[in-house]
Amino acid sequence: MSDTSALDDTAFMDALLSVLVPANPPGGLPAAGTLGLAAQVASGLKSDPMLGPMVGPGAQAIREAALAAHPDGLPGMPPEEAKQLIGERLAANPAVVLGLLRYLYPAYYGHPRVLEGIGEPPRPPFPEGFEVEPTDAELLDLLKERARPPRAGR
Amino acid sequence: MAPVPNEPVGVLVIGAGASGAAFAWSIADTGASVLCLEQGPWMKQSDYPTNGLDFEWRSLGEFSPNPNVRKLSTDYPVNDTQSEISPLMFNGVGGSTILWAAHFPRLTPGDFRTKTEDGVGEDWPVGYETLEPFYAVNDRVMGVSGLAGDPAYPYHEPPLPPLPLGKTGNTLARGLEKLGWHWWPSDSAILSREYEGRAGCINLGPCLTGCAQGAKASTDITYWPLAQRKGVQLRTGCRVREITVRPDGMADGVLYYDADGQLQEQKAEIVVLACNGIGTPRLLLNSKSAQHPDGLANSSGLVGKNLMFHPYSAITGIFGEPLHGRRGPVGCSIWSHEFYGTDPARGFVRGYSFEAIRGFGPAQTALWGMVQGLVPWGEGHHEAFASVYDHTASLVAICEDLAEESNTVTLDPELTDAHGIPAPKITYRLSNNSREMLSHAVERASEALRAAGAVKVVPMPLVRDAGWHLLGTARMGCDPRTSVVNEWGQAHDVKNVFIVDGSVFVTAGGVNPTSTIQALALYIADCIKRNIANLFDGP
Repeated sequence: MSDTSALDDTAFMDALLSVLVPANPPGGLPAAGTLGLAAQVASGLKSDPMLGPMVGPGAQAIREAALAAHPDGLPGMPPEEAKQLIGERLAANPAVVLGLLRYLYPAYYGHPRVLEGIGEPPRPPFPEGFEVEPTDAELLDLLKERARPPRAGR
Repeated sequence: MAPVPNEPVGVLVIGAGASGAAFAWSIADTGASVLCLEQGPWMKQSDYPTNGLDFEWRSLGEFSPNPNVRKLSTDYPVNDTQSEISPLMFNGVGGSTILWAAHFPRLTPGDFRTKTEDGVGEDWPVGYETLEPFYAVNDRVMGVSGLAGDPAYPYHEPPLPPLPLGKTGNTLARGLEKLGWHWWPSDSAILSREYEGRAGCINLGPCLTGCAQGAKASTDITYWPLAQRKGVQLRTGCRVREITVRPDGMADGVLYYDADGQLQEQKAEIVVLACNGIGTPRLLLNSKSAQHPDGLANSSGLVGKNLMFHPYSAITGIFGEPLHGRRGPVGCSIWSHEFYGTDPARGFVRGYSFEAIRGFGPAQTALWGMVQGLVPWGEGHHEAFASVYDHTASLVAICEDLAEESNTVTLDPELTDAHGIPAPKITYRLSNNSREMLSHAVERASEALRAAGAVKVVPMPLVRDAGWHLLGTARMGCDPRTSVVNEWGQAHDVKNVFIVDGSVFVTAGGVNPTSTIQALALYIADCIKRNIANLFDGP
C-alpha cells in the first residue's frame, strides 16, 4: 500500500494545486487550489491503480520537503519558494506531475468559474446544446457540380 | 452446482451491440423464438456525462472506451501489453455504438476484392453489390444523415440531409478544396433533424460518451425497440461462459452467468455470435470440447488470427482564430478518400481515408497540450492554454490494415474476468506497410491543415488508444481450410453457429466498419431466412 497521506492533507493539496495552475487575474481565472478540488483529485488518484501508487509517494516527498523547509509546510511557504521546491521535485519525477495533472485538469476545467473564465457557458452541454455554423453555401455548390448522378432505374 | 435450465429457444444471439441488434431485428421475421444475452446493462440517456459539468472527468473514467480503464463489473479485461494498439469497446445494450462517433462510411466496392485488384489480402465471398440493399435498410433504421452523390462511392441516398459542417468543417473543406483533393460531407449516424420519434442533433459535442439527446444512433434506441416489438427477448447482465455441443458436434446452446452470478443453461437451435472481433474468438476458444479440442469452429486454426485494427494517426492543426470546435458532433463533418486506393508511387499498397475531427473540450485540450509539450503547468499555463483551446482541428487517418496471421486474439493463461472466464490476450504489431501509410498520412494531413490556415501542425503518428475496429478474427470465405465461416456467416465446422460481427471481415478497408458490420448482419439474417428449409446443407 503506497503512502497517500499527502493526498488527504487538504491544505497541502490546495497549495500544491495552486502552484500547478495559478490564478490568472487578467483573465479572471482562479487558482486551482481555491476551488475545493483537492478531494476530487485525491479520490481520482487513489482509485487509479497505475498513477495512484506513483503520485501518492511523490506528493508525500514534496510535503516532507516543504515541512523541512518551513514549519507550516507548503501552505505557509512564500510563493516563490513553494514554486521552486515543487519545480525541483517534479522535474526529478515527471510521472508525479503527469498523474496530478491527469486528474487536476478535468476537475479544474469542469468548474463553472473556470468555464466562464475561458469564455464557455457555465452549464452542461445538455439540454441546451450549442449552435453550429451552417455549411458554406459556396462549398455546397461545388459539391453539387461534382456529385455522382443517381443510377438509371432508381 | 448444476446450471439452471431455461426454456429452449430457436435463435440465441450473444451480444446486443451493432450487429446483434440488427441481426435479431431481422431474424425475428421468421417467427422463431429469439433471445439475446448481453453482459452489460441498458443505458440511460439521463446518465450520460453531457448531462453534467463533469462530462470530461467522467469521459476519462467510467465512460472511457478502454475497458481496462473503465473497469466496470460488466467489462472483461484485455491483456494488450503485447499490442501496439489498445482495443476499445463498450459492454451494454447498444455495445460500442454507445460510445462511438457515428461516422458512418461504407466500404467501397474495391475493398471486397483486394486480391484481384492489388494482389494483397483475400477477396470476400460477397461484394458491395450484394450488401447494397442491406446498407440501405440499415441507413433507414439507424437514421443516417449525409449528402448523396459522393464520387468515391456508388450512388446512394442517405435518408436525412447532411449535418452542418460548422466552422471547423468549413475551414478544413476549404483547405482540401485548395489542394484539389477529394472531400465530402460524412455519412453520419446522427440525426440532422427529428426522425422516427428521435430528436435531432443539438451539437452537444462529445459524442464519444453517449448521446444525452438521443440524436446519435446507438442500437439500444434504434434496432432494439423495434426488435422487442417483434417479440425478441433481451436478457441483460448475462455473461456467456461457453457454447455447448451435442455428441454430433453441433451446438446445443450456452452456459452463462446471470446478473446474480448463477450459472444458467440456455438451449437453442441456432447460436449466433455478435460479440465483436475480440469477444467472439474469445468465446469460441473458451468453448473447447472433445469434439472441438482447439475451440469451436476452429478446424482451420484461424479463430483469433488475422486480427485487424485500423492504425490511426491524428494530425492536429492550431489555427489563429477560434473554430468553435467543442460544438457539434466530434467526428462527423467531412471525409476524404484522396489517398484511398493503391498508388505504387507511394511505397505502400492500399490506402487510407481522412476523417475531420472538431476541437476538444477544455480538459482534453489541456491534457493534449501537456502530452505535446505545448501547455505547461505553473506560470504560463493560462496563456499557452488560450493559444490552443478552441483553435484546433484535426484530420485523423484511418489506415487499411492488412491481415496477418501473427496478429492474434488468444486466451490469456492467467487473466480472467469477474466470473473466472479466461480473458483475451492481444498480440499485434504494425506491418511495414502500415508504418509507411501512417507516415504518408502525416505528411499529407499536415499539407491539408496548412492549406486550411493552420499556423502550426502537431502530429501524433500512431494513436495507441484507437482500437475501435476489431476485425478479421473469424474470417469469411468459401474454403474451410482458410476461413472460419462461409458466405452466409455460418461456421464451416458447426452448421448451426453463425457469426455476424466484425470477426468475419476478410479485409478492413480504410474506413470505419460499423455500417458494413450491420449490413453484413442483416445480409446473414436474410440468408438464413431465405434458406431456412435446408440451412444446414450450406450454400
